[in-house]
Amino acid sequence: MEDRRIGVFICYCGGNISDYVEVEKVRAAVENEPGVVLAKTQMFACSDAAQDEMISDIKEKGLDGIVVASCSPKLHLYTFRAMSLRAGLNPFRYTQSNIREQCSWAHRDGGPFATEKAIRIVRAGIARARLSEPLATMRIETTPKVLVLGAGVAGLMASLTLADIGLPVFLVEKEPEVGGWTCKWGGMFPQGNGSDLVEGLLKKVKQREDITLFTRAEIIERTGSVGDFTAKIRVADGSVVSLEVGAIIVATGFDTYRPAEGEFGYGREGVWTLPEVKEWLAGNEGPLAVDGRPVESVAYIYCVGSRQPKDSELERPNLYCSRYCCSSALHTALQIHERNPEVHQFHLYRDMRSYGKYELLYEEASRKGSMFFRFENDAPPEILAESRRHIVRAKGQLEGDEVLDIPADLVVLVTGMVPRQNDALINVLKLPVGTDGFFNEIHPKLRPVETVMDGVFIVGASQGPKTLAESVASSLAGVSKSAALLKKGYVDLDPYIAMVNAERCVWCGKCLEACPYGAIEKSVLEGKEIASVIPSLCKGGGACVPVCPEDAIELKGYTSEEITAAIDALIEQVAAPVP
Amino acid sequence: MPLPIAPLLGFLSDNLTKRRSVMPMSSRKTTRWAAGLDIPAGGETVLYTGLMYQIIPALTSSEKTMSLVQDSWVGQLLSFGRTVNRFVNLTSFMPPADRQEQKRYDQYLRNIVQLLRKAGVTEFGYLYGSELYTGALVRDLGVDDAFEQHARKVHKMLDRQGVRRVITVDPHTTDMLRNVYPKLVPGYNLEVKSYLEVLRESEARPKNRLESEAVIHDSCLYARYLDTVEQPRRLLEKAGVTARDPEFSGKMTFCCGGPVESLFPDKAGEIAGRRIKQLAEAGNDVVTMCPICLHNLEKAASGNGVSVRDISELLLQAYGG
Amino acid sequence: MARVNTDFIDEVRRSDGFDATACMHCGQCTAICPMGLDLLPRRLFFYVGAGLEDKVIENLETIFSCLLCRLCEENCPRDVHIAEDVRFLRNYINRKVHKLARI
Repeated sequence: MEDRRIGVFICYCGGNISDYVEVEKVRAAVENEPGVVLAKTQMFACSDAAQDEMISDIKEKGLDGIVVASCSPKLHLYTFRAMSLRAGLNPFRYTQSNIREQCSWAHRDGGPFATEKAIRIVRAGIARARLSEPLATMRIETTPKVLVLGAGVAGLMASLTLADIGLPVFLVEKEPEVGGWTCKWGGMFPQGNGSDLVEGLLKKVKQREDITLFTRAEIIERTGSVGDFTAKIRVADGSVVSLEVGAIIVATGFDTYRPAEGEFGYGREGVWTLPEVKEWLAGNEGPLAVDGRPVESVAYIYCVGSRQPKDSELERPNLYCSRYCCSSALHTALQIHERNPEVHQFHLYRDMRSYGKYELLYEEASRKGSMFFRFENDAPPEILAESRRHIVRAKGQLEGDEVLDIPADLVVLVTGMVPRQNDALINVLKLPVGTDGFFNEIHPKLRPVETVMDGVFIVGASQGPKTLAESVASSLAGVSKSAALLKKGYVDLDPYIAMVNAERCVWCGKCLEACPYGAIEKSVLEGKEIASVIPSLCKGGGACVPVCPEDAIELKGYTSEEITAAIDALIEQVAAPVP
Repeated sequence: MPLPIAPLLGFLSDNLTKRRSVMPMSSRKTTRWAAGLDIPAGGETVLYTGLMYQIIPALTSSEKTMSLVQDSWVGQLLSFGRTVNRFVNLTSFMPPADRQEQKRYDQYLRNIVQLLRKAGVTEFGYLYGSELYTGALVRDLGVDDAFEQHARKVHKMLDRQGVRRVITVDPHTTDMLRNVYPKLVPGYNLEVKSYLEVLRESEARPKNRLESEAVIHDSCLYARYLDTVEQPRRLLEKAGVTARDPEFSGKMTFCCGGPVESLFPDKAGEIAGRRIKQLAEAGNDVVTMCPICLHNLEKAASGNGVSVRDISELLLQAYGG
Repeated sequence: MARVNTDFIDEVRRSDGFDATACMHCGQCTAICPMGLDLLPRRLFFYVGAGLEDKVIENLETIFSCLLCRLCEENCPRDVHIAEDVRFLRNYINRKVHKLARI
């Protein structure tokens, strides 16, 4: 171990570190650590000049490990890995010690402890570096085909675009018909007809030889990993087909909120949800009538099943806004106005969120006579029965406690979106689910369709409530991420994965239970049952390590030995505390 | 007691339909301002007073009657009064207008004629006794039937006289003839300009530079109904008058209170008082361009050290010479 | 209790003169009104839109107090022709309440 040749580079970060940490004292305190042959300070370690200097030091001094004491690895891990590679050093023998976010910035109130703490952090880095081993990334050849789950508009659009790029697609739909909600809804905002839209897309899909559509089909098993999945699909006739794909796009959509019996009068004739009203409008051409009675007055109640208060009695209230409903209800009002301009329309809303260009729908509806009444969440309207009509009782509109009674032949409950119940799919794909029940992306802004399962993308309303336009945009994002993955032909995976000590392992199965990625499987080695790691699935999460009663599982790059050495270095007394 | 709005409206609309004006006056009184000006009778282009400057001084006396109505037993008799008024012109029993006031308002109309002539605009006539009130007040009060009937009457008269172009002297008449009549009267095709617009277009040259300041009170109608904000300012500036704008001015001008004078004189007075305060903060010399504004603000200004003048007076000092 | 009277709404709708359905009750008009009326015009338009004829008539005096000065219109984010709408209501009241019928 003492023959290691480690170089330490300590960064000023132009004052970000050196204003609070006496960087030269840190250098002096670590230059004689065992294995260290070189310790330097740099104004900006990430600058091209500093990197060039490191490269020549690595080459000239024959360094076999380096520590860069600078910022968070989130910022420059890949910078210095690439630098190491250029210098001919195995990139996994470089260790980054964070003395900025974890030290100088945390101790801006002054005091000598920042320097002392920096010394300890750098020593811990050196201790780890001394034990570092050269590791190799894993390269996986990718299968240039994509599995798309769900043949709503998002799935259809994704399939067509993938085919345009030259990636063959298997499109799997659970229902007998494609098109999801859209094909039931007739007119949709801002314009166009849902069923026409779907019909057009389906026609195109059928013309494409490189799209294989399965309806009444379901994924029942998935093995393999990013770039190289095997998916088993149960198809309409009950048989199972096995598909090799490099990426999976999940476009399984949403469900609409279904009010409880009696919620805002739901269950009575003429008290319908927005989707029900849209289907009703799309499905009849004649004069508008409910139960044989002409519709003269319509009342809309917004935010039914969305934006439910946190402190409600519901087990899991829907806290989110469903995004599409305000605009859709306004559009429905305009459709009804077009069918019969005499109809009176009253909108009881909490906040009107016809955002972006859809504001024009609000504008148009209000100019065409729709009346808008705001209500507070703690004083929602009540629906009362009156002969064959309904009375919508709205509070807070008039002086005092006087209530406003609105007679209505049709009450539209403007219901939002809810996550589709699909536990089997979640289980098969190991999809992460958010507290709201929709699938969870890695980063809401920068990685909106990627999941922690590499190669599995969530698009459309399966990720959260969206308008159709947003859903399509999201599905095309999934397409571009799939193409970026598969067009290269291979993926490189980090080598920080778990490894099993076959001698110690007694196959208790605890690691299998702990792994959220399904990366552990049972195997037999020379007649003995042991756990083994599927390298392409392991994400180096480390959940398996502490649960192992036999200490038989380790994480490469973060072995117990390395972690212990780092901790020992951290707690070691700093010889001469800085005054 | 509640205000007898209905009888009052009936009274006004009866006057309009039966006597061609809400405040019927003899044509001797409405035309005497033109005496000695030698304005030709009729013609394709006419100066149209709309009787506004003539009626206003008479209002002073009728207001007294109305205030009485609002606060006393007279109000209760007004419904009875309306019935009588259909047969007898009750207005003629109102106390006569102050002669001094009448003369002063007549003078504004004379100023306007002189200003137009000095600016080289000489080709215009006057309809004298044939001229009719436009019915603006009755329309404002929502008595649309009576108003529409009257508007057609006015148009017929203008048509018979062969009038093609009209120069107006106040914003209410301008709005009626330019904006409202065309929507109501089929075949209406009159070019309507206020004298301020005509003067502004004429490149009138001031004879005297006044080197003074004036606070401009924009009329609501000129500013917001007729887009006439810049013209009076340019005319004053050219004459060396620095136009001062009060807190509310131009498109955002503040009402003088006049429009509710006929129904709620107290409220009208209150608003005029607030407006005078705003104007006084910008200066003491206030100019108006509407007889209703002039009348209301003058009343509110008395004792405030603020003088209110019709813009024609100031313009004549500069452009008359 | 106030009940929406759609017949009244229909009557208002039949006229071309009334465009206050675009009102979104923001209150900018009331804030700038020289008369300082707390009713006009936001609340009034609400009554009309909700078909509350009684409420409209109850506020007859306020309706006739409007100056028609249009200062509110300069402030209106929805470009409602407030003065014309008030005038329309005056006309409605003159016909319905004051019985100033066609002559």
